[in-house]
Amino acid sequence: MTDIHKTIVVTGVGVVSPYGVGLDCMQAGMLSGKCCLAPTKDLYPGFEGTTAQVRGLPLLAEDSSSRYSRTDQLATAAAQDAMAHTGRDGSAFRESGVVIANTVGGLTEIDTGIAKDPAAWFRRPGNLLRVASYPFAHVADAVGEHFGIRGPRCAISVACASGATAIALAANMLLDGAAPIILAGGSDPLCPFTLSGFNSLRALDPNPCSPFDQNRKGLNLGEGSAILVLETLAGATARNANVMAVLRGWAMTNDAFHTTAPQEQGIGLADCIRLSMEMAEVSGDEIEYVNAHGTGTPLNDIAEATAYETAFRGRKHPIPVSSTKSYFGHCLGAAGALEAAITIMAVRSGALLPTLRLVDPIESPGVDWLRGEVKRQPLPLAMSVSSGFGGSNAVLIFGSGPS
Amino acid sequence: MTPNLAPVIITGVGSVSPYGPLAGLIPQSPLEPTTITAWTTAGLRRAFLVPAFRPASVVPGLKTRRLDRLSAWALVASALAIKDAGIDLNQVDRSRVAVIFATAFGCVELTEAFYLSAAANGWNGTDPSTFPETLPSTPASHVSLFHGLRGPNVTVSNKDFAGENALMQAASLLRHGQADLAIVLAGDTLSQSLYSWYDVAAVLSPACYNSDPVPEAGGFIPSEGVAALVMESSGRGDIRSGARSYARLCSGRWAAGGQPAEMIRQMLDGSVPSLTVCSGNGAPCATSPTTALAREISGDGAVIISPQTFALGLAGTGALFHLILALSSRPVHGQALFLATAGHSGFAALLLELLAI
Repeated sequence: MTDIHKTIVVTGVGVVSPYGVGLDCMQAGMLSGKCCLAPTKDLYPGFEGTTAQVRGLPLLAEDSSSRYSRTDQLATAAAQDAMAHTGRDGSAFRESGVVIANTVGGLTEIDTGIAKDPAAWFRRPGNLLRVASYPFAHVADAVGEHFGIRGPRCAISVACASGATAIALAANMLLDGAAPIILAGGSDPLCPFTLSGFNSLRALDPNPCSPFDQNRKGLNLGEGSAILVLETLAGATARNANVMAVLRGWAMTNDAFHTTAPQEQGIGLADCIRLSMEMAEVSGDEIEYVNAHGTGTPLNDIAEATAYETAFRGRKHPIPVSSTKSYFGHCLGAAGALEAAITIMAVRSGALLPTLRLVDPIESPGVDWLRGEVKRQPLPLAMSVSSGFGGSNAVLIFGSGPS
Repeated sequence: MTPNLAPVIITGVGSVSPYGPLAGLIPQSPLEPTTITAWTTAGLRRAFLVPAFRPASVVPGLKTRRLDRLSAWALVASALAIKDAGIDLNQVDRSRVAVIFATAFGCVELTEAFYLSAAANGWNGTDPSTFPETLPSTPASHVSLFHGLRGPNVTVSNKDFAGENALMQAASLLRHGQADLAIVLAGDTLSQSLYSWYDVAAVLSPACYNSDPVPEAGGFIPSEGVAALVMESSGRGDIRSGARSYARLCSGRWAAGGQPAEMIRQMLDGSVPSLTVCSGNGAPCATSPTTALAREISGDGAVIISPQTFALGLAGTGALFHLILALSSRPVHGQALFLATAGHSGFAALLLELLAI
């Protein structure tokens, strides 16, 4: 029996991706097999690589008292899309909470001058205004203030598990009654700082990435934002809202193993998958699709494959898994939220997207690596998996509707 | 809507602050800002600074050479709080221990260092060992890694109520059975760029430029440090042998707008706190909006603890220090309202039951 006060549902999904603004736009692009990863040279002098960029982002008007970083701009556009998606006007969200993850914050607004001669940098016209968006908390404020939303605001930063973690914590907050509705998700732009950082770690594939392939060479960075409108089923029912999906389970763990590398056996991730299934009260046999973290780095993908072997051991059939980072790269703090949106898309359409460029998959008998054509089947339950630097893992399980 | 949290108990306190590294409460003693010497300044510049110390001398075996000071202090403060709580981590299921960290600015020193490496060598020549240490979530990751804690690990922020936010997220994880024990941390470090920001923005107190006392002069004195609390679900904390209980967190609420007095009364659900601890915006206590709101809720007879200057210097992450300082100086037992306001950014309120230590 469903407890409508303890059931968290998704009543809107807003997306800004390299495909454009909107879930439909992303879905059409991905189902057509279009890859947004492209050679890039202009992100900083000397950079040559492959990224996926958002073009034609509708920008917020700035004045003498406000300046928005690209992280803010992406999040605000996604939040606008999410609210519009519900069919309700802005006043319906006045008491809502805002929980938005990011890792970049306002790093897009500053440059090396801030470290070389801070006082001179701050005295340059406009820089005090630019730097105000630096703290990673600013994104939640920018969204809240832009739409006049006055519920609790929270920014999350858990490296590449940020977006999924924001959704998990927002679900907890709804169960606590902290707000009637929460806009939850993540946002991150491309910027020289992070691009240079991943480049220095030799984690970037110079060509479009090949997650889970034996010959994978690393990841590509992308940018974007996804915001989910979350509420309890009781609230959604009272408002006669269109329930797009049910957030059946969520969990967070940490590997406690290394600052950048995952635990080789994927133990922390396997635990996280198990905990999310316990919360959802489902078995491994009931999950029919996993949207993987699947960065394409040698260490991540093997640890993740091992985690699936452990977590889904005993399943009647191999677990279907794909990495949609092969379409538009790794969007860091937005990745978990964008992939939650893709998982919801899969649950609603029954279309399981393949991993692009997966030619020679990692040997993993318990996993059905989706590749080639889009697979179509009824999909009552699907899982989205995220991991990040520092060993954090977050798993979300979405279902097609209230039971 | 009133979020009535199942009570959780604060059983351990640790900190790295201008008082130095400490396990337990902070002794009541006056604190003066000290002169900045870590970088060249144009004339006298002062702040509440953490005195230099060797982390390994406080926590044996701790290696912090390549870490941002924020990570190093988070490690030290967490170890001191766990020690204060009397917890032997070997006796604990570490997969059930969460780490919740609040920061406004993250690892600013190594972020500056990374920018400097880009300035010196170009963006293609940056230092790979520095980059992972610049992430806002890195201090929390180090805490999990050092102590072997495999539960949820989350870094949160909020412009004005980051510390309160961390406390409520931790309480929520405990309440929903997603952890049995949580290490809650909040803090920031003061770097050259951050201080320059305040300086150029003209928001600093005259006390930052002048060693003579300047009463009621406005502005604020920046500070630095990391505070840590151990929080346990009430069942566990009550029965654990040797557990010290500082306070019970009963409920909490924060919002960016609305009618704070009405929402807080709803949260209190008839409770009448005998003590209000003000944190927040740095205005002189007698005229601050926080105090006015406290009087509106609790009446003129309530005991009000003013914001503490050094904790005010931590922007949005001072809440845990406000709480520790209030616990250190509390004039009464019983229920306490922990209250912060921040102009148009709203309020945060926690209802605590102060316990006999």
